[in-house]
Amino acid sequence: MNIPVELKYAASHEWVRYEEGVAVIGITDYAQNALGDVVFVNLPQEGDEVTAGEAFGDIESVKAVSDLNSPVSGTVCAVNEELLDAPELLNSDPYGAWIIKVADVGETEELMDAAAYEAHCEAEQ
Amino acid sequence: MSELKRTQLYETHVAAGATMVDFGGWDMPVQYPTGIVAEHLYTRHFCSLFDVSHMGRLLIDGPERVAFLQHVLSSNVAALDLNKAQYCIIPDEAGGAIDDAFLYRFEEERLLLVVNASNTEKDLKHLRAVKERFDCTITDISREWGAIAVQGPKSKELLMTLSGGAMLTEPMKNALGTLTLEGRKVHIAKTGYTGEPIGYEVYVKSEDIAWLWNRLIELGAKPAGLGARDTLRLEACLPLYGHEMGVDPEGKPMPIFAVPLAKFAVSFSEQKGDFIGREPLQKQSEAFKQIQNRDFSDTAVLPKVIKPITLIDRGVIRAGMPVYRGETQIGWVTSGTMVPYYKAEGEGLETVITDEVVKRSIGMCYIANDVLDGDFVEVDVRGKRLKAVIPQRHLDTMAPPYARPMIYGVELSKRPVSTEARPIRALELLKKAEKNHLWRQKQCINLIPSENTPSRAVQMLCASDPSCRYAEHKKVKSFYDKDIFYYQGTKFIDEVEQLAVEELKKYFGCTEVETRVISGQMSNMCAFSAMMDWKNRLDRKHTPQRLGYVLNNHIIKGGHLSAQPMGALHDYIAVDPVTERSAVVNFPVCKDNIFKIDVEETKKVIDKYRPEVIIFGKSMVIHKEPVAAIRKYVDEQGIQTTIMYDMAHVLGIAGDYFQKPFEEGAEIVTGSTHKTFFGPQRGLVAVNYKEDELKYGLWQTIETRAFPGSVSNHHLGTQLGLLMAAYEMNHFKDAYQKAVVTNAKSFAKSLKKYGLDVLGDPKNDYTETHQVLVSVGYGEGAEVANRLEDNNIIVNYQATPDEEGFTASGALRMGVSEMTRFGFGEKEFDQLAQLMADCILHGQDVSEDVAKLRAGYTTMHYCFDDAAFTDALEAFAGKIGF
Repeated sequence: MNIPVELKYAASHEWVRYEEGVAVIGITDYAQNALGDVVFVNLPQEGDEVTAGEAFGDIESVKAVSDLNSPVSGTVCAVNEELLDAPELLNSDPYGAWIIKVADVGETEELMDAAAYEAHCEAEQ
Repeated sequence: MSELKRTQLYETHVAAGATMVDFGGWDMPVQYPTGIVAEHLYTRHFCSLFDVSHMGRLLIDGPERVAFLQHVLSSNVAALDLNKAQYCIIPDEAGGAIDDAFLYRFEEERLLLVVNASNTEKDLKHLRAVKERFDCTITDISREWGAIAVQGPKSKELLMTLSGGAMLTEPMKNALGTLTLEGRKVHIAKTGYTGEPIGYEVYVKSEDIAWLWNRLIELGAKPAGLGARDTLRLEACLPLYGHEMGVDPEGKPMPIFAVPLAKFAVSFSEQKGDFIGREPLQKQSEAFKQIQNRDFSDTAVLPKVIKPITLIDRGVIRAGMPVYRGETQIGWVTSGTMVPYYKAEGEGLETVITDEVVKRSIGMCYIANDVLDGDFVEVDVRGKRLKAVIPQRHLDTMAPPYARPMIYGVELSKRPVSTEARPIRALELLKKAEKNHLWRQKQCINLIPSENTPSRAVQMLCASDPSCRYAEHKKVKSFYDKDIFYYQGTKFIDEVEQLAVEELKKYFGCTEVETRVISGQMSNMCAFSAMMDWKNRLDRKHTPQRLGYVLNNHIIKGGHLSAQPMGALHDYIAVDPVTERSAVVNFPVCKDNIFKIDVEETKKVIDKYRPEVIIFGKSMVIHKEPVAAIRKYVDEQGIQTTIMYDMAHVLGIAGDYFQKPFEEGAEIVTGSTHKTFFGPQRGLVAVNYKEDELKYGLWQTIETRAFPGSVSNHHLGTQLGLLMAAYEMNHFKDAYQKAVVTNAKSFAKSLKKYGLDVLGDPKNDYTETHQVLVSVGYGEGAEVANRLEDNNIIVNYQATPDEEGFTASGALRMGVSEMTRFGFGEKEFDQLAQLMADCILHGQDVSEDVAKLRAGYTTMHYCFDDAAFTDALEAFAGKIGF
């Protein structure tokens, strides 16, 4: 299981990376592995407001549908539209295939570092 | 929570890194590390293994086993032949499903019932309660025997590697076989739950199951879990208990006939008597028929039915989502997900399956019974209304070896209609016809065994004046059976027809010939119609009874299409009340030579079924038919039957070098006149009944079923050509027939010499007819035939008796008669064999060499060519303007 040390992690298995004040959000390797083959991602639009701890979209695997939770509150300033045609990128490259970018970041969930997240995943198994 | 149950393969799954889940109390692999999408695609493209040992395997034994199963299952168990399986439902008293199941007859005396894993205990309780009234036993053998589903286009090849090349089962769906795989006994069923046209379920002893699994993996199969099993069955629209059967989302029982497959799983045969659920099922069946007729007035019995559904908008549909038509909810999605497929390019047989993976959101739904195929609906996907359509199906399995995804909205390209003026198009037609004629007649080598080129004289006569005339005629009793013509101007054709009949009687050595039928298929229809009429001649006050039983060659064993229920027999064959299928039985074939009828086994079939009609003859034919042996047997046994020989393919070699049908005991010979015979495209019916015989009445019926039964206009031009062809044949037959059979044997040996896999028995040089069969690899027939056509060689691609049908063809069927007429001898066929091997085995372009070889042989042989005849032919051509 790949858990890059430079990222922060939410308990609901999203990762966050900050780029000049903008929060870049994706799902973790653990999440994609648990979901299985991702076949569809339902994404918000640029300008949508997202709230920390609440769903901003959903992700469908062959098996089931799951919510995508935002670890931060703010405004969606970019959406990875490549995922609409190639949702399987979330399986093959979970840390490269970001899902949304959020600007005007306000409230933020309590996020874990890599070590804490690894312990969290192990506890969940 | 009680401990999860484990199959015999549990350790194997864990070792392979499978994700294990609780499935109905079983610890089962839902997927392996490659994932569901890859597993799904690998099944469709190559071969996957599924552990199905969790399903319940129940052995039903004892004297009243059939009566018990007839009572407790929906299907007609009496119709289940040895080595066949049938899909069935375990109904409750109200016509709902307790479970669905498969019933297998691997052994004469015992039946195996396989039920869903999660229902096994419930099923057993129900079955054991009912069994109390019957003298039979139910043994749960699920621990002693395991099961692996081996599914996908390569499954046959992999299993046959383990069987040492032995055939697994007959090629038909639901066929069974018992054999050993590398020394271990298995039961194999051509069944499955993936929609794959090539797929097997292998029942194997528990101690051997890990061995079998690992051997198949070594050979290239990959494991697949319950996840892929679900997406595959969903794509194939196969119902899953708990989704498409059982209770609906409101908790109401779903009627069995809501599932379209019920039509095949439920029988109301008298054999079944009063089985559980019969009355409500009969009501459902009536309601189902009404719906099929688009009468939706009765909504009480079958208010909703199961249909496939395809999402048009982006998203994924899931079980339980409501389906709407306008503002009205009309049902629910019962199963749904995103399913992958390999994109296909091209059309028809030239379709190429690419390696580009596409996904589509599809499912099944339980919706109002008046929704038609092609209707649009909406699905509530978590609060959003998404557009969907009801397609006919998601997958088609009729073109093996691949299951082919049916993508909504695909349309075939249409040939653009030229906008140019018709005179220009007319000119173009002439030019194209000229080009085609010259190619087929002078540049390419035609090896289609059902074709021939008629002589120039025959061709000219076919086009001369009677070709636009009528000459209806009928024998009239008042004039001592003199043929009376209804039109004037027919004296010439009257003479021609009489002469043709006389020549053909001489050719066959028989008493009567009917030549008015204009094709081989029509010849058979005329003969069958007459036999049926003859059967009913003593009772005209009731609806006539159809023919049954009829003994023929199965189409897959080379039987002629024109002698099948789907062909000319269609309107004349009875339905067997026991099996509820056409009352046709087939000649058994020799185990060591599937192209040859097994006479001793045939005698047993004749004893059992006492067939009214025995039809010899095939379209894939390399052996003589055992007419004499069977004639002798039925005479000795005093069996009343009519022996007919459909000689379409071999009509032109009837005689000393092949078979003399009437001498051997055939009563009726039918056939077409243009395959090995020299004629234009027509048919004939010949009989050997004498005027004082009872069955002469059958001959008279054949005449009336020819006219007015089959034709009014019997194509007089080709009738004239047929007379010339009969003259040619009777004059040249000794040399021609000898050359054809010699050339065929020689061609077969040459093909073998150059490395091709020639089918048939080397002891008689692979063939006793004009045909030669070559195996080019399973499913490769069409591609190789196409390649040969590009190289100016025209052949048939052909499915052999162990292949599933024309798209799975692995052989070529060739005939030597046409090229023999153009002067080919053994030397030329040897040259041709080498060119074919170069093209087939070495991929060489031989088109120019073939054209060069052909160019030296464009003169017709075995036709009149003396000076007087040639002069007269030229004069005739000049005068009539050819």
